[in-house]
Parts: sequence; C-alpha cells; structure tokens
Amino acid sequence: MATASTNRRRAIILLTISSLFLITLDLQNSTAASGLRSVFGIFFRPVEGLTRVFTRPIGNAWFGITNYNDVLDENSFLRQQIAQQEGATVAAAASVRLSQELLALNGLPTLAGINAVTAQVIGESPTNFSQTIEINQGSESGIRVGMPVLNAAGLIGKITKVFENRSSIMLITDPDFSISIKVVSAGRPATATTISKGTSATTSTAVPQEVSPLLPDSETTTTTTTTIPIAGFTATVTTLPSTPQGVSSITVPKASDLAVRETGALEGQGPSRQPTVRFVDNSVRFGDIEVGVPIVTAGGSRSLAPPDIMIGNVSRVIERLGSAGPLLEIQLVADLSNLSFLRILLYQPITEKK
Amino acid sequence: MRLVLVLFFVLAFQTTLFAQLRPFGVAGQMLLLFTACAGVTYGVTVGTITGLIAGLMYDFTLATPIGIGSLALGVVGATAGVYLYLFPNPIWWLRIVAIAVTSALGEIYYPIALAMVGLDGWIQFRLLKIIAIVVVINILFAPVMLIVSRWTLSERKRAT
Repeated sequence: MATASTNRRRAIILLTISSLFLITLDLQNSTAASGLRSVFGIFFRPVEGLTRVFTRPIGNAWFGITNYNDVLDENSFLRQQIAQQEGATVAAAASVRLSQELLALNGLPTLAGINAVTAQVIGESPTNFSQTIEINQGSESGIRVGMPVLNAAGLIGKITKVFENRSSIMLITDPDFSISIKVVSAGRPATATTISKGTSATTSTAVPQEVSPLLPDSETTTTTTTTIPIAGFTATVTTLPSTPQGVSSITVPKASDLAVRETGALEGQGPSRQPTVRFVDNSVRFGDIEVGVPIVTAGGSRSLAPPDIMIGNVSRVIERLGSAGPLLEIQLVADLSNLSFLRILLYQPITEKK
Repeated sequence: MRLVLVLFFVLAFQTTLFAQLRPFGVAGQMLLLFTACAGVTYGVTVGTITGLIAGLMYDFTLATPIGIGSLALGVVGATAGVYLYLFPNPIWWLRIVAIAVTSALGEIYYPIALAMVGLDGWIQFRLLKIIAIVVVINILFAPVMLIVSRWTLSERKRAT
C-alpha cells in the first residue's frame, strides 16, 4: 500500500517535470518536440483512422439533422450567386491577367509566379483554445512552416506544423496570428494648381465631393476639380499668379487617381471576434480610413506572405487617443467556418527559413 | 498499459467525432471528462496521473506546446479527486455534479496555462459559452465515461 502510494507520487513528479521540460523544448522550437509528435502520430494515426470510419456516419447524421435547412437555403443562395458571378468572372479574369502582365513587364513579383499546392482539409482542432486545421499535404509536397494558405476568397492562415503527408494550419483568427498588411484607400482629394492672370497667390478651400468651377469671381482661368470624398480631410486649391506672357492655366495631374496605401499589423482575436489591425498611421497624407476599404498583405522581405493577397475589408474604425493611431476591425473575405480545398503558396518567408 | 490503450481510443473519438460535432461552435472534451471521472472515482493521486498522461497524449495531437494540456488536465484530475475528501461515500448524482464543476474548472485551467507561456488571448467572454456547453456535454456523457474509467482503472484500484 505504502509502496504503491510512493510510486504514484514519483509518477506524478516525473510526469510534471516531463511536461515542464517538454513545454520548454517546444517553445524553443526544438526538433525533439516535433520528433515526439511524429512518433506519437505513427501509433495514433491508425487508431484515429479506424475511429473515423466508425464515427463518420454519426457525424453525417448529426449534420443531416442540424444543418439540413441551412444547406437547402445555402444551396439556392449559391446557385443565384453563381449566376451573378459568371459574367463578372470573365471580366475579372481579364483584368487580373492584364495586371499580372503589367507587373511581370515591370519585373515586380506576382502571385502567378509562385508555385502552389492544393490540399484538402482533413480535420479541425479538437480543442476550443486553438484555431487550427489539418490538411492532407505535407513536406512531401514541398510544404514548409510559415507558408501562406489561401482559399478561393483570400488568405486564411499559415502553416505551423509540417509532417510527411499532413500539415497544421493556424487560422488568421488565432490570437497568435500576426501579419503585416496594407490598407488600400481610394486616395486623398486632389490638389489642383491654377496659374492665374493676377499677380498675387490666393488660397481657397475645395469642398469634397463637389464638382464646381473654382473661384468664379476672380480673374483666374478656372479649372474643374473632382474630389474623392475622404471624411475629415480638407483639400486646398492654391491659385498662383500667371506668367507675364499670359499663359492662361496649367492643371497639375491629380494624385488622387492613384491608390494610397498604409501599412499595419493584422492580429487574430479568436473565433468570436474579428481580427484587428494596429500600427496604422492616421496621417493627413493618407486621410481617414473608411469602413469598407480593402486590406491586403503588405509583402516585403520579412513578411509571412507575398504582397497583395486579399484578406478582408475594414468593418469598423476605432479611433484612439494620442499617437496610437486607429484600430481597425476586419471582416475577412474568406469564410473560415466552411473550409474544404485550400491553396498553399510555396513561398517561405525569410523569417521562417532555417 | 490499459489506461494508455483506452486513452488512445478516447483521444481518437476526441479528434474525430467530437472535433466535428460542435454544438454552438464548441467541441466537447472527452479527455477532460475521462480525467474528471477518474478523479471523482479514485481520488487525487489516480486523477492526477490520469490527467497528466491524458493531457500529454492530447498535446501530441495539438499545435500548442507539448506539456500544457498535460499540466492542465493533471490539475483537473487533482481537483476532481478533492471531491472524495469532501464526500467519501458519494451518491451517483453528486459525482455528476462534481464532474460538471471539474469540467468547468478544466476549461478555465487550459487557457490560463496557455497564457502562462505567453499564448494569451483566449481568456474572453467566449469562455463562458465554452464552459456552459462543455459542462452540458460532459454531464450527458458522464454516466458512460464513469463506467469506462472505472473499468480502465480497476486494476489500479485492486493494486491498492
């Protein structure tokens, strides 16, 4: 009795110390921890596979009972959406191709130049405190830790663990997920410069979202400016004196035709909250960020993903005091609750290379 | 040995059926339930050992650092075992209540353990929903799991 009790105490101490040791090893990204997982997988996968065979009908019955009406509704909605999208797809494909050609002509990196592997989702995280999924492709297909994962809509996560023929993906909503992003704004209002016949320079204010002749009462030759509305930003129109030769007017091309971009960091907030973007500089040059503007990956040598992968749209802007800049809540374009086939870009960031 | 073999199958159920069936988006936790059942049946020591082993096995299938689940479930087993000190000859429904309380605490221990190694962000209002659903699922499966855990650990009991 006493011996059994002592043995049990020893077992508890041994297991506790082992756990602490393994936590330390795994947090240091030790290969020993990965090796242990692989060895465990060798014994566990057959048991799991066998159990899956028996439990699949139960799961299917459950989904049949709980989701039948939703599936019918979704099916009719999707049919309608397909009909709407078919026309738009042709035009979009042409635009994408043109864009890729232009980028290639200028020697800029494009997603088309990066090889990809298609994989199927084979499992979800069994715990409530990890936003991960498992796919049926691994190191044999060239997948490495850190590679970005997309579905048809946009970025959904990154590879965190790779085995021979399966991998784990950390979803974009996991609180440990972070990636550098770009906020693509429509641009600031135009500043039109007009050279007048007068001798002194005057400055007037252009009201956003108006198409109006500027300074109609003055001696200047007028020019028309279309401003793109950016809340809270006030553009100025500077009227300069004309040259003695009587040159009537010169209109500077509008900078607002180009999209303005600002970078920040997107962080997951768990499955029940939308990811947020921090470190966005709310500068005058950039203008205020509006709800609905798209968020794409920033790219760059240290980024986890190549540039311009669609992530989502700004759903809410939370203003903060001081120099913190606004906090943006992001509505993801990808539906993470319904993932099936995914594309893994064989793009490994420098930070993940060993 | 029997414990490890049975835990293999419980874990397989966890990673297949219970990972799929998510009422209100929350997965039931069978290893947590098994540990709680072991604790309320055989006391602190057996509960702790069961939790540590079950958690370690669970960790090997998760993306979180190995060892966290082990420590969390070890504490769950110990917590469940404390119940026997309070009620040495428990009535069946008191066991179920103890399992429910331990399950709720177990769902709190795990995010705390994650936060202690820097993986924070899981302690939020959603935790209340998780606790509520996990408790309900564990109450439903507790009678079956009590039988399974009793059979699994019966050798251990005879040894004492």
